[in-house]
Amino acid sequence: MDTATHMLRTGQRGTLFQLQMAGRDLRNSFGRMGLAWSLAWHDVSSRYRGSILGPFWITLSMGLMTLGIGFLYANLFAIELHVFLPYVALGIVFFAVMTGTVNEGCETFVQAAGILSQTSLPMFTFVWRTVLRNLINLAHHLVIVVAVLIFYGYWRTANVPLALLGLVLMVLNAGWLSMLVGIASARFRDIPQIVTSVMQFALFMSPVFWKPGRLKDYQAFLDFNPFYHLLEAVRAPLLGAPVQAGSYLFLVGMAVVGWLVTFLIFARTRRRIVHYL
Amino acid sequence: MKTPPASIICTDLTLRFPVYGVDAKSLKKALARVAVGGRLGRHSGVTDVTALQSVSLKLQAGDRLGLIGHNGSGKTTLLRALSGAYEPDEGSIEVQGRIAALLDLGLGIDPSATGYENIRLRGRIAGLTSKEIDERMDEIAAFTGLGPFLAMPVKTYSAGMQGRLAFAAATAVECDVLLMDEWIAVGDADFQKLAHKRLLKLVERAGILVLATHEAPLLKLYCNKVMRLDGGVASEVMDIRKLDELLAG
Repeated sequence: MDTATHMLRTGQRGTLFQLQMAGRDLRNSFGRMGLAWSLAWHDVSSRYRGSILGPFWITLSMGLMTLGIGFLYANLFAIELHVFLPYVALGIVFFAVMTGTVNEGCETFVQAAGILSQTSLPMFTFVWRTVLRNLINLAHHLVIVVAVLIFYGYWRTANVPLALLGLVLMVLNAGWLSMLVGIASARFRDIPQIVTSVMQFALFMSPVFWKPGRLKDYQAFLDFNPFYHLLEAVRAPLLGAPVQAGSYLFLVGMAVVGWLVTFLIFARTRRRIVHYL
Repeated sequence: MKTPPASIICTDLTLRFPVYGVDAKSLKKALARVAVGGRLGRHSGVTDVTALQSVSLKLQAGDRLGLIGHNGSGKTTLLRALSGAYEPDEGSIEVQGRIAALLDLGLGIDPSATGYENIRLRGRIAGLTSKEIDERMDEIAAFTGLGPFLAMPVKTYSAGMQGRLAFAAATAVECDVLLMDEWIAVGDADFQKLAHKRLLKLVERAGILVLATHEAPLLKLYCNKVMRLDGGVASEVMDIRKLDELLAG
């Protein structure tokens, strides 16, 4: 593949032109997915340079948290361990992918300032870098998922293809959120703090550590919680439970609307992002 | 692959930097009259600095342009605009050919990664595939002259060694348009000689070089044309022999 042998940049304005340029950015980023992958891989390997377990340290700490919370809360809520522990394990692992993708999204453009200010690389490349990095991390944490599913026998009823579909929906949605906060954080440096707090809040407000069945009169609280749907779409099939059709509708709608809004904002701010940094 | 020869065409290129997070009122209008820096002004409610004002420029294969001017006169901005990072506010930039920008030593350099890893990373950013990097690795490694140090983290390097690494990695990519800012003067005398050879080879391959520097000897060594920037306004592109005139003016 030959890269950019011709470059034309103009001061032309107008919504249509800006959308075109944003579209070209997106297209070029698909052509250079290998670069995003290399950068993501480099990020992971350099973050854990010199450590023996590497990303498995996080896996280990997740495993510990799973055990602790699993045993304790199963007792507190009087739920059987073989029901509750796998539920918590999957919740922690998959919620972490979302949190990671969105939180690290704040750094996407800020971190790439050096590269962005002297090359014509597509901006989307750096969004994919963040997303791929978190998928690489997830690949490590899958150890927990597999261990729990096998140990408690859920592998017999787990619907893996459906869970993969859920994962795709999760990544799609986390992707636009990540990009949106990335643009916002480049412009306003308070955003990362806000995002971190919101994601922390979301962790406790979503059924990660507790079962939704106990909510009783507050069902609406779940129906309007996007993180609940995102999590359920992956977790429920793995535990052999059905996913409500409404959840899929919600997630697809959220992905479409989210990406549209993000893309429009990107088209408007694209030429400015490098100046924000 | 090499169909159209390298060329750079800028027409009426105007570039403004919006300044965020600065209270416009606190910026004295008087600043605009100071010789250092671009012109400050307000456009559509945002305080901005006009870094380049209607710059027109036409270069073709074989041209080696030297950019001169005070600090803040827009040299680096012009180079960054040519690299495709900045989008013009008015006018247009058209570059034919593969661009390599050596503007910042730190580009894609991860201090905790080894020399080899950094060459790899830099190569990937420049558009090489992993295979192409593997093929060139020996040649790049030899050119850096860093030998066993390449297996060490870059943070253990001296500035000169980092310069060698960055220069070798960046120029290993076949490019038609090379943009360079100042720091070419890195490394010791030996390395300077090597770098000099490599640059000349690049220019021989019918490429374009745009070099921003304050040093007249460097300009005379590499460039055949020269342009002066003052507060974002460009002079004519002149023959290098008129350098002294331009410097005096």
